Amino acid sequence: MSVAPVDPAAVAAADELPRGPSLGRYLALRAGGSLISLVMVVVVGFFAFRILPGDPAITLTRGRQVSPEEVERLRQELGLDDALPVQFWHYLLDLLRGDLGTSYVYRRPVSELVLEHLGPTLLLTGTAALLSVVLGLWLGQKAAWRRGTWFDKIHTGLALTFWSVPTFWLGLLLLLVFGGGLGWFPTAGMETAGSDASGLAHVLDVAHHLVLPVVTMVAVVYAQYLMVMRASVLEEMHEDYLTTARAKGLREDLVRTRHAVPNALLPTTTLIFLTIGFLVAGAVTVEAVFSWPGLGYLAYQGLNAPDLPLLQGTFVVFSAAVIVMNLVADLVYRLIDPRLKAA
Amino acid sequence: MVRPSSAARLRRRARLREVWSEFASQRSGLVGLVLLLVIVVLALLAPLLVPIERLDVTRVTAPSNAAPSGGHWLGTDPQGRDVLAVLLWGSRASLLVGFAATAVSMVLGTVVGMAAGHFRGLWQGVILRFVDFFLVVPSLMLAIVLSSVLSRGLGTIILAIGVTSWAQTARIVRAQTLTIESRPYIERSIALGAGDVHVLGRHVLPSVMPLVLANTTLAVGSAIIAESTLSFLGLGDPTTFSWGSMLKSALDTGAATAGYWWYVLPPGLAIVVVVLCFTLVGRALESVLNPTLRSR
Amino acid sequence: MSESTHDGPALAWRDVTITYATGVVAVDGVDLVVPRGATIGVAGESGSGKSTLVMAALRLLPRDARLEGTVELDGEDVGAMTFGRLRAVRWTSAAIVFQGAMHSLNPVRTVERQVAEALELHRDEQYPDAAARRARVLELLGLVDLPASTAGAYPHELSGGQKQRVMIALALACDPDVIIADEPTTALDVVVQAQVLRVLSGLVADRGLTLVMISHDLAVLAAVCERIVVMRDGRVVEEGLSREVLTDPQHEHTRELAAAFPVIGDESARYTVGHDRERILPTTAPALAPAERDDPGRDTADSARDRHTQGVGGAVLAVRDLVVDFRSRGRAVRAVDHVSLECAPGEIVALVGQSGSGKTTLARSILGLQRPTSGEVLFEGEPMPRDRAGLRAYRRRIQFVLQDPSASLNPKHTVYEAVAEGLRIHRLEREGVDEAARVAQALEQAELTPTERYATSLPSQLSGGQRQRVVIAGALALEPSYLVADEPVASLDASVRGEILALLLRLRRDLGLGALVITHDLGLAWNVADRVLVMHQGRIVEDGPVEEVLLDPQHDYTRSLLEVVPSRLGSHA
Repeated sequence: MSVAPVDPAAVAAADELPRGPSLGRYLALRAGGSLISLVMVVVVGFFAFRILPGDPAITLTRGRQVSPEEVERLRQELGLDDALPVQFWHYLLDLLRGDLGTSYVYRRPVSELVLEHLGPTLLLTGTAALLSVVLGLWLGQKAAWRRGTWFDKIHTGLALTFWSVPTFWLGLLLLLVFGGGLGWFPTAGMETAGSDASGLAHVLDVAHHLVLPVVTMVAVVYAQYLMVMRASVLEEMHEDYLTTARAKGLREDLVRTRHAVPNALLPTTTLIFLTIGFLVAGAVTVEAVFSWPGLGYLAYQGLNAPDLPLLQGTFVVFSAAVIVMNLVADLVYRLIDPRLKAA
Repeated sequence: MVRPSSAARLRRRARLREVWSEFASQRSGLVGLVLLLVIVVLALLAPLLVPIERLDVTRVTAPSNAAPSGGHWLGTDPQGRDVLAVLLWGSRASLLVGFAATAVSMVLGTVVGMAAGHFRGLWQGVILRFVDFFLVVPSLMLAIVLSSVLSRGLGTIILAIGVTSWAQTARIVRAQTLTIESRPYIERSIALGAGDVHVLGRHVLPSVMPLVLANTTLAVGSAIIAESTLSFLGLGDPTTFSWGSMLKSALDTGAATAGYWWYVLPPGLAIVVVVLCFTLVGRALESVLNPTLRSR
Repeated sequence: MSESTHDGPALAWRDVTITYATGVVAVDGVDLVVPRGATIGVAGESGSGKSTLVMAALRLLPRDARLEGTVELDGEDVGAMTFGRLRAVRWTSAAIVFQGAMHSLNPVRTVERQVAEALELHRDEQYPDAAARRARVLELLGLVDLPASTAGAYPHELSGGQKQRVMIALALACDPDVIIADEPTTALDVVVQAQVLRVLSGLVADRGLTLVMISHDLAVLAAVCERIVVMRDGRVVEEGLSREVLTDPQHEHTRELAAAFPVIGDESARYTVGHDRERILPTTAPALAPAERDDPGRDTADSARDRHTQGVGGAVLAVRDLVVDFRSRGRAVRAVDHVSLECAPGEIVALVGQSGSGKTTLARSILGLQRPTSGEVLFEGEPMPRDRAGLRAYRRRIQFVLQDPSASLNPKHTVYEAVAEGLRIHRLEREGVDEAARVAQALEQAELTPTERYATSLPSQLSGGQRQRVVIAGALALEPSYLVADEPVASLDASVRGEILALLLRLRRDLGLGALVITHDLGLAWNVADRVLVMHQGRIVEDGPVEEVLLDPQHDYTRSLLEVVPSRLGSHA
């Protein structure tokens, strides 16, 4: 028996391909969106301290003994006697020059301070993020594949518990037990004060200081990744292409690692990048607890002083960093998911 | 003739029973719910169990930082107050902030999310940019900025947490709105003559609510953690007791480093237990109300 | 290519019963023997157990399924194999062509990697390195008429027909003796379906393969297979030579399946659908003279021409020079290209076209769901209003029946609420309409009786056919003057298809309600329509009475559509 041939033109008409948006257009859209978010950050960073109820000079000096003259000096320093648009204009021009104002506490330009403290924050959050991603994703896919088993129950239980712990409290406990009590790890800072160790000794010293803050951050952050990855893999478990893979004669572990996991990784990636802000929150609290000399610690000091330019500067820098990271993540995602690659 | 109103009521009741029995079959969710109820009742009864005068520093007679004993099960704090009593009173503020901030964030998130999913064109663009901003800006930083400029108080904390945490809800609600609105029954409804209000009110909102409800329980936990974090950073209300302010004073008075564990452990553990309970209840609810997630 | 020395049947199910943990008996005591080199089609509706049956051949059932009896592949009991043996047998003794248009290919791996993976697993001595495997992949793609460039493509870059052919190439990779094809052409357009079937049957014939093919469409099976097995509720109800099963079905269920794909030109299938095979003709239709109704074959061509000259005066619905453009990623796409048409009151008009022909866009424009670029829609002689209030009033008079009844009802609303929705939107209670009475009346008209029993049900408690009746009742509640139905039976099982079409015919007979039925299925047009419009690339290429257009097509496109109607596919053998 055979089937009649078919007119190729008719087939072509009926068998059309779906088309996606072009990469260029997508890039422009995303970059434009990020730019708008950046502008909004700058606007919020400026107006939040000026338009909200109350006199910033009073708010800033709240809880301290200050004379009216000091308040007046502060007002002039802040340029509060100018009209708002004028103030904003000056602020914008300064910002474009990279000038974030001068810190009251340090008596130094905020931009300098930010640059100084950037490295330690990158070291801390970078290490913590890397470890959390690896740990969370690996445990997540394993738990999903063995769902309902003890492995799954123990790891989702642990993750949910860690997720419920306030970061700073966990930090405090670790500090008490391993820093104060047992004395295994240093309790503050990034390097031993007064030591002029260099080379490998210096690296080891920093690593020694890094352990407790990183463990604190990882404990809270990995849990999210675990849950997200577990959910994504479970989502893929009933997909037809896994049946195809099994029908081909693949072993179960290959079905998982070659087919289910690569597909589950894609939605997970988006969600991981969406929670980058979470890392910033972690950085602020962990650095505050461990006196880690990073941007978060700087923000904490700006908050306690209170030091308006410092607070405003760290807010703008942190937010801008997260916005840029999100943009990068979007583009990376575009590149790793073949479904989104330019047609 | 059919009387649809009574039938609908019967059906709703049957559905509630069904949801309950499915929820009750998940042990972890049930345990979480029972624990939560106990904690909420204790918090409500706090004024009866421990008169507020016993927390008045000027009237305290106990020594400060005393270790746990028969008289003070959890010892005393640096001001000589009974830690258990402070903990009980602290639960009121922590839970209040948790619930109120979540309410703010859920209402905002649901309304904005539905609008972003339903409307097209310019409005959609504007709303989406707005959501996007709140999604990417680190919410703790924004909450810090907000609560450092506004006057200290529970209201400020609630506002700061609520206003900075709604974007995730809006994102979820928008996705659900888009899914619902792509269903043919919306097309059918529009072809029958339905307008925006009918589509949003009769079709979209009822299908979004279960999701929001499950999300709410999860969000209360996050809000409680956020409250403690803001308190710890010194942005709390200095005049009320909360678990966060307890930890803050433990740190400030050196109780933490001096090894007075009875003042450091209980508030933190209380937070962990409550947040974990909310999370367990939220996950159980999620799997009951959103069957596509059941396997999770 | 066969490695086996066994000369019994290639595949055999012996008294197989498969039960799911939920208690559902999917397959109930089936005995089926597939001799080497045979081509067998398994027909049945959704839930008949046909997919479960063939999945058991490679032990691919879900974990909660329990199998009794034995399945033998090449004389070897599949259930008794070790996992290692099973993995070795999978894809080498028997391979499956899954419904590739759906999600059976891994979305993030290239075609080449997915095909080469099977070679790596099973044929590593024959194709030891990447170059050899690549050559083999290209050879396989050539077999299914795909260009070599397909190798580097991801599934989303391929069309439905191409994906299906990749699935066939994948199944052939390790030279299996048995090919199992599970609904290989469902979800494909008829023309593409014909092409895929040609590739598949050509390969099976050239290589002497054993083929087991599953489909809900008897005609498709008959085009490719020698024998057909009809399943219902897990049992085999009929088995025989394809031609005999198709032309002289013995079992009632087979007749239902066969009736869903009527032979165009078969007079007995005109206005005759459903169980009772009763001919349902209109009683009062202004556009049709009584004489013609008794004998629809006679003189319809003339009367149709007369009707055309009547103009808008007699038309309930008229479309004038309608153009709809889409802006898609910066490119303008013309979905509807200067279309004009007219529908008389009480007339059933079939609008036939392939996917992408613009027929759904046209329907949406008629309902005011899509704004036309130019041209106009006239209803009862008046142009369709564009403002909100006017459009709302307009939508009360013309009603829409959608393709998938499961999706077009809110799963949370009861049948009562779904039917009353239109009444509530238009606040008809203010006009003195008794909501409950009107709902009951609409349910009765849609033949959902006793109405009390259905009113409180949820859509999930109803069958597909009942759900579509609810959608129709919802439309009838507003007492419309005309219906627009977009593929009203495409997602329904064959046996239900007839019921719904019969309902449309009876509504026309009893209420004088006409319909514009949008469909890809020429058989449906032959079943119920008075007039047929053929749409191609946004234009109406042919318009006339059903007999005239389908029996004596003038346009090339109509002819090519008629060529690939499944019931004609095998006739070129």
